[in-house]
Amino acid sequence: MSASMARKLVWAIALLPLAFFLSGLTRADFADGQALLNMLGRLTGVLGLAFLLLSAALSARVPGFDQPFGGLTKLWHSHHLLGAASLLLLLAHPVLLMLAAAGHGHDVAMATLFPPLSDIATWSGWLALVLMMIFLAPSFAFFGPPNYERWKRIHALAGPAAILALVHTYLFSRTMPMNLDVWIWSLLALLAVGAMAWRFVFSRRIGRLNHKLVAVDRVANNVVELTLAPGRRHLKYHAGNFIYMTPFDRKLEAGHGEEHPYTLSSSPTEENLRVAIKDLGDASRAIQTIEPGCRVAIEGPYGRFFPTSNKVDTPELWVAGGIGITPFLARMRHLAALGESGDIQLVFCVQDEARLLFADELAELAGRIPDFVLTFHYFYQEGPISVEFLKENCSDIEQREVYICGPMPLNRTVQSHLRSIGLPYSRIHTEEFELL
Amino acid sequence: MKKITFAAFVAFWASVMTVAAMSWLSPEPAMRDDSALPEYTLKEVAEHDSLDSCWKVIEGKVYDFTEYIPDHPTPPRIMEAWCGREATEAMRTKGIGRDHSPAAWAMMEPYLIGRLIEKD
Repeated sequence: MSASMARKLVWAIALLPLAFFLSGLTRADFADGQALLNMLGRLTGVLGLAFLLLSAALSARVPGFDQPFGGLTKLWHSHHLLGAASLLLLLAHPVLLMLAAAGHGHDVAMATLFPPLSDIATWSGWLALVLMMIFLAPSFAFFGPPNYERWKRIHALAGPAAILALVHTYLFSRTMPMNLDVWIWSLLALLAVGAMAWRFVFSRRIGRLNHKLVAVDRVANNVVELTLAPGRRHLKYHAGNFIYMTPFDRKLEAGHGEEHPYTLSSSPTEENLRVAIKDLGDASRAIQTIEPGCRVAIEGPYGRFFPTSNKVDTPELWVAGGIGITPFLARMRHLAALGESGDIQLVFCVQDEARLLFADELAELAGRIPDFVLTFHYFYQEGPISVEFLKENCSDIEQREVYICGPMPLNRTVQSHLRSIGLPYSRIHTEEFELL
Repeated sequence: MKKITFAAFVAFWASVMTVAAMSWLSPEPAMRDDSALPEYTLKEVAEHDSLDSCWKVIEGKVYDFTEYIPDHPTPPRIMEAWCGREATEAMRTKGIGRDHSPAAWAMMEPYLIGRLIEKD
């Protein structure tokens, strides 16, 4: 299944309740302005709840489930889009119903929005909406950029919000013909509950693989590479995948028992796993001083940065920025270990020579992989990467599949350069490591 | 995306607060004098018990819903069952323990034809 097919399937399921809602409409729903606003008010409610539940279902993070979407970060784009659309629709929902009632006077509009407290159906909807505003406020940075762990805790309010929204809908149940709505909502609710059950119950027991931290290499003053020895069960993965890692070390200043996503830097042929971690937040800063010996649980693999990581079928251009070198390093280690050749051009962008990561190993690997060309780009000397720089160092960009991994500004710049050369989106592959 | 959602968030609270302010500032509607309305007994109302002529008593007032029934969200038979009768319970519970909305109560006004008097 292609990524666009997978996305379309998700939206088709999301629009299912709408189809039933529309089939139940009558002439009276379009009779006048009031009826129309009331109908739109109910429609936004139906669609908003469907999007909310499906968005929850997509957040399960079941390993392998992200593959048809082109990786977990792509899947999260759908999750994010559904969530945003749901919030917009559900904000419009009470306002439209209130406006529909306003034709009968302010008091009726007011009583529609704020009925007596005994009206559980309306108030459960209100509570769900307020919870939604709270749990989405950090996601959309309403009040400044969020702290990862706090965002995660607040986002868990999505559970109660979805339950209250379902109670609200079941109590009103005037949205679809017959008892169809009960079935449809139960189905969507089951998807969402199943996803949550996987995430918070089963993934903790079956999904997590125990490892032991056996070595810590200091790659730079703000980057470490950890080596993890597997326990009973081994992780099966492809070069360029990422994992969620939970270190258990009470000596850590932050992040003990907390899971964070990190890219694997090892080749799948290696016995142990390796992860390169840059100091980008509280937990990744604390982990810079972690010592070997502690237990580490990992969950994964996720992502599908390279469709075929074992060989190089068509020529490729890689653009890495800073710690974004990690998936490329993993693939170079893998190709070298397999003895594969590869017509690959790697442009590694860093601020200056002092910030180069894995420079010696990259040069050594580039020498071992036939046809591999390694180029460095220094921001402090050359400014932002230009389209000329790309063309000079890679004369046949048009013939290549392009992979980009690095900070958002670099990612966007390179993408716009490639588009200006005329490269279609289908040839540009990116991996993002920033929150949303 | 962040800007759009934030704009919607602000617009939402702005409109809710506008309605709340308007409702708070506008004067209480004067109590209407119903004494001039025609008077009917339950017996008279009971004669209008079909879809061809459907009268109902709700909270002491008599309504003629004949014209409205086709516009009601439920199939006509649901409303028909209450034609010619005291139907306050139907209005207050919808048969499922849920009151009709404030807008639904307001929508009855044009169909008001009289008030109930206790006779016979």
